[in-house]
Amino acid sequence: MLNSYRAAFKDITAALKLRRVWMAFASEDIGDQYRRTTLGPLWLVINYLAMIAIFIFLFDRGNGLPHFATYAATGLLVWSFLSELLMQSVTLFVREEAFIKGTTLPLSVYAMRMVMQSLIRMGYTVVGCLVVISFDGIAPLWSWLWVLPGLAILIFAVPPMVICFGFLGAYFPDSQYLVNNAMRIGMFVTPVFWVNPGNKALRSALYHYNPFTYALELFRLPVLEGRVPLLAFAVCGGGAILLWLVALPLLGRLRRQVVFVL
Amino acid sequence: MVFIHADNVRLSYTVRQKLSLAWPRRRLEATGGRIVSKGRHHTVTALDGISFDIAAGDRLGLVGSNGSGKTTLLKVLYGIFEPTAGRIETHGRADALFNISLGFRKEATGRRNIVLRGLVNGWTPDEIESRMDAIIDFSELGEFIDLPFKAYSQGMSARLAFSVATSLEPEILLMDEWIGAGDASFQEKAKKRMAAIAEKAGIIVLASHNTSLLQRTCNKILELEKGRVKYFGDAEEWFAKNTEA
Repeated sequence: MLNSYRAAFKDITAALKLRRVWMAFASEDIGDQYRRTTLGPLWLVINYLAMIAIFIFLFDRGNGLPHFATYAATGLLVWSFLSELLMQSVTLFVREEAFIKGTTLPLSVYAMRMVMQSLIRMGYTVVGCLVVISFDGIAPLWSWLWVLPGLAILIFAVPPMVICFGFLGAYFPDSQYLVNNAMRIGMFVTPVFWVNPGNKALRSALYHYNPFTYALELFRLPVLEGRVPLLAFAVCGGGAILLWLVALPLLGRLRRQVVFVL
Repeated sequence: MVFIHADNVRLSYTVRQKLSLAWPRRRLEATGGRIVSKGRHHTVTALDGISFDIAAGDRLGLVGSNGSGKTTLLKVLYGIFEPTAGRIETHGRADALFNISLGFRKEATGRRNIVLRGLVNGWTPDEIESRMDAIIDFSELGEFIDLPFKAYSQGMSARLAFSVATSLEPEILLMDEWIGAGDASFQEKAKKRMAAIAEKAGIIVLASHNTSLLQRTCNKILELEKGRVKYFGDAEEWFAKNTEA
């Protein structure tokens, strides 16, 4: 056990030293996706805004909540970051088979590249989010800065998710479809565009016992209510530590084995 | 001091029938004696009891029929596979040429690909910049270097791959049948560069079925048969024995 932790730490520190590699590859990845398009990554903003428009004008589940647009915009920002990250993580090691079988790059490099790629994508959707917020008539406040520690917690929490889901997809290929389905359903059972109704037992439970709720609140509460999201910090921070405790031994044990199952 | 020391290296791995919801298929008979099957698990012993020593200046040829473990041994030497048992000690900066187009991005230009490959190899941006012109010159790709990699032919990819891999003067160069691509004049250049690497007290390990190439390049031969060493020693002796028969 101790050995696998040590191996995992070695892998991660080696990957951190190679940050130029995953940063360069992440921006290549984004570039490749939009290489032949005219609008390029602006499509990310357009897709985001189209989705938000549907939430606001067709499915207003705000129950009269003021600034529902901002509520949905911040929710979708974090949700699309997490769901895309997880869906792509399941196929991460399978997609990178050629590299894993041909180079001695530490496995964490692939995970960090995945996180980096999603962060770049999120950067574009932030633009869309700010557009919605300004149309919603909310002026920037200093309390928005509480988003930053939230973002830090989120960035700390996602690499172990990528690692766990990457191994899951490598050892259990069917999980790809399971995760895709779960994420599609997840958007409806997570309060991305609906508000905690308070009195309805099932939906309230979905709100309170869904860990993703707190990830959304990391961004939502500071912007919408100017509040410090203390509970969200605690849940997401604690969750991140738990995830690392699972991911590290997995990484240590499987980083030299996964090459044989790809 | 550059050397490779292998002591009783063994590599076996389990090929798991992946966990899957699919209906189990009729199991096929395992061929050959190297696969041990137990339920859903098949254990493949790819290498067994491999011991050898090579020192600075050696050019080792790996020979053996398909599936005898040549590529696997190269990958163990490079560090992609960890030996299951035994010990492998390599001393020296290693670079490998396994698959010509590996790690090249189709959409990126040749120049950008050199940068990316350099980063993967652990070079700093300054090192990459200072080698860029030499790499492009050696590859003779000319203006193609600024076109996307997908526009390259097999031979052009091989030129680029070889130029990048050898530009940092690796102390240990591991190659797997790469030379099939590339025209005669480039092969001549490549051969000279390999000789230069070996002269600078480097080690070259080359897996190939091309006897004349091996005869020209190698001074030692390691013959594998079903994952075990069948012959290890002087190249001339091996060629003498094998051309007689």
